[in-house]
Amino acid sequence: MTKQEAFEKFIVPIGPQHPALKEPGHFEFVVDGEIVTGAAIRLGYVHRGIEKGVESRNWTQNIYMLERVCGICSHIHATAYTLGVEQLANVTVPPRAQAIRTLVSELERIHSHLLWLGVAAHEGGFDTLFMFSWRDRETVMDLLETISGNRVHYSTNILGGVKIDLDEEKITAIRKGMDFLEERTHHYLKVINTDETFLGRTRGVGTMSSQQAEELSAVGPTARASGVPRDLRIDAPYAAYPEFPVRLMLSNEGDLHARFVVRMNECLEAYRLIREILDHLPEGELTVRMPRRIPEGETISRVEAPRGELAYFIKSAGGDKPDRIKIRTPSLCNWGTITSVAVGHKLADMPMLLAGIDPCFSCNDRMVRVNRANQPQLWSWEDLRLYGIEYYR
Amino acid sequence: MNTALTLLLLLIFPGGLFLLGSGMAYEWVDRKLVARFQNRIGPRWFQPLADMVKLLAKEEITPQGVHKGLFIALPVVALAGALTAALYVPLIGFKPSFSFPGDLVVTLYLLSMMSLCMGLAGANTVNRFSLVGATRTLTQLFSYEAPFLLAMLGPAIVTGSWQINQINAQAGNTWWFILTQPIGFLVALVGLMGKLELPPFDAPEAETEIVSGALTEYSGRGLALFRLGKDAELVIGLTLVAAFYLGGLANPLEFLLKTLGLLVVMAGLQSLFARLRIDQTVGLWWRIGALLALAQLLVLIIL
Amino acid sequence: MDTDTALQNARQLLEGFASEIQQPELNRLDFVIPVESLLKVVEVLKSNHWGYLSFITGLDCPAAEGAEAAGGKLEVLYHFAESAAVVTLRIRLPYDRAEVPSLCTLIPSVSIYERELMEMFGIQVIGTPDPRRLLLPDDWPDGVYPLRKSYQGFGSTSAEPQVEI
Repeated sequence: MTKQEAFEKFIVPIGPQHPALKEPGHFEFVVDGEIVTGAAIRLGYVHRGIEKGVESRNWTQNIYMLERVCGICSHIHATAYTLGVEQLANVTVPPRAQAIRTLVSELERIHSHLLWLGVAAHEGGFDTLFMFSWRDRETVMDLLETISGNRVHYSTNILGGVKIDLDEEKITAIRKGMDFLEERTHHYLKVINTDETFLGRTRGVGTMSSQQAEELSAVGPTARASGVPRDLRIDAPYAAYPEFPVRLMLSNEGDLHARFVVRMNECLEAYRLIREILDHLPEGELTVRMPRRIPEGETISRVEAPRGELAYFIKSAGGDKPDRIKIRTPSLCNWGTITSVAVGHKLADMPMLLAGIDPCFSCNDRMVRVNRANQPQLWSWEDLRLYGIEYYR
Repeated sequence: MNTALTLLLLLIFPGGLFLLGSGMAYEWVDRKLVARFQNRIGPRWFQPLADMVKLLAKEEITPQGVHKGLFIALPVVALAGALTAALYVPLIGFKPSFSFPGDLVVTLYLLSMMSLCMGLAGANTVNRFSLVGATRTLTQLFSYEAPFLLAMLGPAIVTGSWQINQINAQAGNTWWFILTQPIGFLVALVGLMGKLELPPFDAPEAETEIVSGALTEYSGRGLALFRLGKDAELVIGLTLVAAFYLGGLANPLEFLLKTLGLLVVMAGLQSLFARLRIDQTVGLWWRIGALLALAQLLVLIIL
Repeated sequence: MDTDTALQNARQLLEGFASEIQQPELNRLDFVIPVESLLKVVEVLKSNHWGYLSFITGLDCPAAEGAEAAGGKLEVLYHFAESAAVVTLRIRLPYDRAEVPSLCTLIPSVSIYERELMEMFGIQVIGTPDPRRLLLPDDWPDGVYPLRKSYQGFGSTSAEPQVEI
């Protein structure tokens, strides 16, 4: 954008630092009064070079590396990766491990959806809902901490299985948590469906027809809210989903309100599924032996992350390190929907519209740069590690 | 009246120090209540004061491209407007310091100074958020001002006076106007929320869209003055509504009970709703607020 | 449509274009497509409503050590998904002519993947509507493509951090 053009158009920059964005991204909205007439995005403010990084780490180290792609849907990244590597290695994971993986990913889905509910409500200026949903989200965070020891990066997966087991005590705790959350979720659904001011901000905003969603390759709850039946847990069941099927949550309205409803219904479905898994938890081993070197080959591992389809392309050259791992996160798919749908809406709707797809910036950006006197210098991982050790000594 | 007394009235009580103090106290009550409604802990009692001290101690940045004089003068004018308005209202249930026939209109316009100054302050900078915020502030001003004024006229017409002092006294002698003019009360209370840009009417400073609207470029003392002005307006607005609709304010106890009661209702309303878009705000006020207030007035005049 | 039928359909649709067809896994088909017919192939898939473009992978396959440098190539993989079935269109490109046509006219949302491909692998996407950088910093040097195997980081990798913060 040249300077001349900038004078002619009134551009409202949102980001990289902006109170509406919890993570850095840059959007330029061209506005005419309050009406948005154009939108553009720029990412990469939290680019960490993970795809390059994984090429210099061994298969086991990469689980932990990839789990850190995203702080909200960490488990699902590790799951996609381990499932892919296990497929390459031709290893069958014991059913109990698969069930626990599924259980944790559903807990993560609840955590992610409740977090999203709060953020989206906050963007709409409904702070009360924000506070309440985040309070209730603590329940599921506590559960995750109880079963894995961590609130965010659970590190449940290892190659060939899982490293945590569930005992009676933990199962009771999860059941109790699910009961509480189910009641709360019903309450939120009621708020979403009946609160007049909230409906004023969500109904008919950012409407995307199923045809548009299809064309723009939308995924996940964003697509399902537009009536596109796309859910990998059903289409291509992985882990324990073949044994514990989920019901598809669809809505045909395609607006923001539908996205709220679909996500809340998915939470309810997750509670049901978790109870079912707990009822029929398979007995047996948690892990199988994995070879250190993974046979040569390529595989694609697709899983349904809370935000939609997460795809991993894994290529092994037969060594103890991957040759290439390509990560395609669901947020990246849904960006396109924003730039097309935004035009014609009010500026005030933008934050909610942005939040509506549940964007995850870290998911999109995956080097560390230090600027010293105009001379950018790139640090290798090792430099950074040493610097960190030095700094905290 | 001698000069010393006038100065005392302006600087210490009811204007100046007292008003600022009570403004901060009311701000705390408001914040604490909203926090409790939202299941949060909320700030400690001295938090507004601490905020103010911090802001006053901060560096003040004058951004490029602004008219410097205007940039500095606007917060002062805004605060001065609010403080002057305090002289005509029955703060603490005491008689207003000054009073003349028609002071109701003057007070209402002094209260509008705040929004006008904020609009100008936003338009004065080249910041995009400020500009959008300024447009929204002024749009909102034009939407709530008329219904609010109409709502305030209701009791004035019934009592047959345009003098706040007299309306206050008369309001205590008859039925509370909240019973005879419920619509007027509602419009007045919600209008006050619009005036103070409290949620759900906080579109002009919606942080998730335009950072902090018209005041984005303000820091340090300028921001502190604007905030003090808002706090003062909160107290004055509550006093006015309570005096007009809740049966007048005759003594300090009545003042405290009635204004705090109103504040509880307002805090409840703040935490109940999602933010209205600016077009929704305008629509609400002109389609519903203004019509209701007009209907109320017509009924009063005909009866 | 179950996975086998979907793959069968895809095979029928694309057989004429592919120079090589492989089935690496039960749910996947891998078509090696000459770059000239890419647009045509995608159009065929689109007009027959076969799946959606799931993602694009860039691959750098340098020549094995000791072999001639000309043996290396870049690959672009277009993954189309229909439920569990995945069809991969594999385009092989020499280093000196790393160009693919843009798919934006057919699939508008592909722009972001194409921008990523351009900056990470230095594969020119001809006709993409917004060729600006998406992920890399603005002052990133031109002609340095981080996901190519030849890229090993800038500057020293010495253990001594020389930067003061």
